[in-house]
Amino acid sequence: MDNVYKPELMEVINVLQHTADVKSVRIRFWDPAATEKFSFRVGQFGMFSAFGSGESTFNICSSSTWKDYIEFCFRKTGKVTEILWQLDEGDTIGFRGPYGNGYPMEAWEGRDLIFIAGGIAMPPIRCAIWYALENRDKYGNITIVYGARTVGDLVFTGELEQWATHDRVRVVQCVDPGGETPEWEHEIGLIPHVIERANIPAENAIALVVGPPIMIRFTLPVLDKMGIGPQDIYSSLENRMKCGIGKCGRCNCGPVYVCKEGPVFSLEQIRNLPNDY
Amino acid sequence: MIDQLRQTCRKLLEDGTVNVVIGYGHSGGGRNPAGQSTPDGPVHPVFITRPEDVDTLVWNDRCFANLTVYLTRKEIKALGKPAIIVKGCDERALVVLEQESQIDRSAMYVIGMACDGVGDPHALKCAVCDVHRPRTADIVIGETAADAGNPEARYADLDAFLTKTPAERMAYWTEELARCVKCYACRQVCPLCYCERCIVDKNRPVAIDTSATLKGNFAWQIVRAFHLAGRCIGCDECTRACPAGINLRLLNQTLARAAEEHFTYRAGMDPETPPIIGSYSQTDEEDFIL
Amino acid sequence: MSDVISRQQLLELVDAWIAQDKRAIGPVAVGEDLHLFMSMSDSGQLAMEGYIRPQNSIKEFFFPRHEKIYRYHFKGHNIELEDVEPPATEQLIIGARPCDAAALPILDHVFNWDFKDEFYNQRRNATTVITLACATFDDNCFCTSVGLSPAAEQGSDALLLSIGDDGYEVRCLTDKGKALFEDKTQSSEKTGEVIDGPEKKFDPEPIGDFVRNNFENPVWQEIALRCLGCGVCTYSCPTCHCFDIVDEGTASGGARVKNWDSCQFAMFTQHASGHNPRANQIHRQRQRLLHKFGIYPEKFGAILCTGCGNCMRNCPVELGVLNSVEILREAATRNTGEGK
Repeated sequence: MDNVYKPELMEVINVLQHTADVKSVRIRFWDPAATEKFSFRVGQFGMFSAFGSGESTFNICSSSTWKDYIEFCFRKTGKVTEILWQLDEGDTIGFRGPYGNGYPMEAWEGRDLIFIAGGIAMPPIRCAIWYALENRDKYGNITIVYGARTVGDLVFTGELEQWATHDRVRVVQCVDPGGETPEWEHEIGLIPHVIERANIPAENAIALVVGPPIMIRFTLPVLDKMGIGPQDIYSSLENRMKCGIGKCGRCNCGPVYVCKEGPVFSLEQIRNLPNDY
Repeated sequence: MIDQLRQTCRKLLEDGTVNVVIGYGHSGGGRNPAGQSTPDGPVHPVFITRPEDVDTLVWNDRCFANLTVYLTRKEIKALGKPAIIVKGCDERALVVLEQESQIDRSAMYVIGMACDGVGDPHALKCAVCDVHRPRTADIVIGETAADAGNPEARYADLDAFLTKTPAERMAYWTEELARCVKCYACRQVCPLCYCERCIVDKNRPVAIDTSATLKGNFAWQIVRAFHLAGRCIGCDECTRACPAGINLRLLNQTLARAAEEHFTYRAGMDPETPPIIGSYSQTDEEDFIL
Repeated sequence: MSDVISRQQLLELVDAWIAQDKRAIGPVAVGEDLHLFMSMSDSGQLAMEGYIRPQNSIKEFFFPRHEKIYRYHFKGHNIELEDVEPPATEQLIIGARPCDAAALPILDHVFNWDFKDEFYNQRRNATTVITLACATFDDNCFCTSVGLSPAAEQGSDALLLSIGDDGYEVRCLTDKGKALFEDKTQSSEKTGEVIDGPEKKFDPEPIGDFVRNNFENPVWQEIALRCLGCGVCTYSCPTCHCFDIVDEGTASGGARVKNWDSCQFAMFTQHASGHNPRANQIHRQRQRLLHKFGIYPEKFGAILCTGCGNCMRNCPVELGVLNSVEILREAATRNTGEGK
């Protein structure tokens, strides 16, 4: 019987700690045949199992072009993530997916890309960044604006340095005023202000903004002033999920099921959503 | 009685003594052309904020709900200072809620309704009721002809049940609790189940399975009964609300009787008597471990 | 001319079914005023008539209130998953009402939306539904307002219509129905009674429009104030299907289970971060009505309600869909009345 609720078993091959409460984990299918069959689109998510505790929803934060493994990133917050925090190489977890709609990377070809992430929201964007870099010719200028409250809250900092070395890629890192360390060489300020100061060319741009609601709320007017229309601004929403496949009735915002018709939405679509998230 | 009730409420709202009256009213079906509720149609809780709406208030033998449950709900607290209509049984909950610091008795106006019984035929609790006339209300409306309930009969159905052997009792509860669907109606209608996060909703660790299995159902019902030990006031709303017809009354009576037998205590009867679980006295009898 | 079966023969049919180790489900009297659909050990328990309808629904025989979806075992570092098959037992549901049976084709949509829930589908395939047309109704019934009627056939394998004298006309609607009643009926001049049912109390289309376009309307507070968030409406509803997935086990292993859940519970949409998009009973009541009359019809072309009235009968504070819709309708008329 085909059980849509049953996960694949995954082996943990690497765990990386980014901050005091954030880790990313690299996993691969125990079953090589599953690795063969598996593919996903960047922006899709999965349900990750800590058997005995439950499942959690995370974006797949690795690029879809990396065939042998996938990665997810999480903050230690609740019952399941507490168990995931204990993971070591060789441990087994479960994975169901990929679910959701993914970023429209094909539709974005030929455009400049502006990636804006706040804090723990870098992982959902990281996959798109790597995808764009691996398909460099298809995209225009790439600007990455990434900020967190303090230096200690930034994740994937090693990769940020790497990205800045790529062709026509500009990386702007920032921390909130007061969050800097004496060695901090990058921007200081709230993300919306940093974006304004950065003078990013926007005539042909797509913006992908992921972060806490308050950050998004103050970033949108800045993008609007830059002339980027709501059909060119995208975000990835999150909502409490259990089944991930549109049945348990939990994650809908009005008529839209975040697990099926999302989690990626354009601002135009988000504005049509009722205040249910 | 109804006229006096509506008058009283109108005045309370008009002169700003209260912001909302929590009482009983009808759905649209039972209205006369003048917009007044008529004595047919189902009765349900209403929240009246405008003096002109007091004519929707009713009082009859279908005023089942224990309205005190609303006093701890945030959506209702947001409406402002309440006047609340209580029967004698409901009123006991007010006493317990205040003893447990969940309500400020001085911050509400209590309208007691003398009550001969609800339901047709009367509910089981009515035949043994000794609080037909509310005792601590700010105003009591109506007189009651009912005699004080027969204390001897208070636990009559429990006594009858206890003549069964333990094996028979277990079989009975197994059959009853197999029907529980974990809807938590029993918890939601209970004025004393006001925990912001109920033990069954906690998952670190999971103390009670949420599943509607025998294990999960037994755990839930027994724990809830114990959490109400010495606090349950016997309004039987849980029994009425249960969609599976489970005899929760019997379960709660067991512990209520234990409180009465061992501590001469009945929840909500006397504001001056300290609650048994919430207090300690050197003269407590100790023929068992609490 | 019609096919009829006597009550006695019907009971024999049920007993024969049970004798084959198959499951027979029907309304059973539980206490004085309560009938619930339950598994029967013999046909003597069957109490099909003499009241409006059972106060639960038949959905639990396709979508159980608790079921294991697989087991997991801890073996050192490793984990083994063990499949769980839904029971293959054939089921006979006898004495369902049209508002019960019609819920099944409605639920088929969501349980097969891109991903097929085989736990549900296998049970659907293994079940024969024999519906009893209603001979009576009460104020809580509103099947006629949502496109159904006391003798509606959707979802049924056969329909029984009373011909008085302890007998029923049998209308077989599917192969399963025909297989069950083959050679069990006699021809008769009598035909079964079909009543008109309750008068239509509202038109669902404008209600759908209203709920879709009035997310922030204060009418939701009017509806929700007395709601205690108890979940009885959702659990006794033939079409409500929200569920939870949790792990239950010990240090050596356990099972992942699927349990009924309710959008009316405060914790239903609570995030681990503490944020709750539906923190208020008002939001939760709005979600239920929006789902039933707005979202589900938009997605699947079917109203997520069969007008059975269980929510009304079971609600401890006399809320329920019909009462709520009447409040919505008043609000909708007020809206259009104001110079539209």
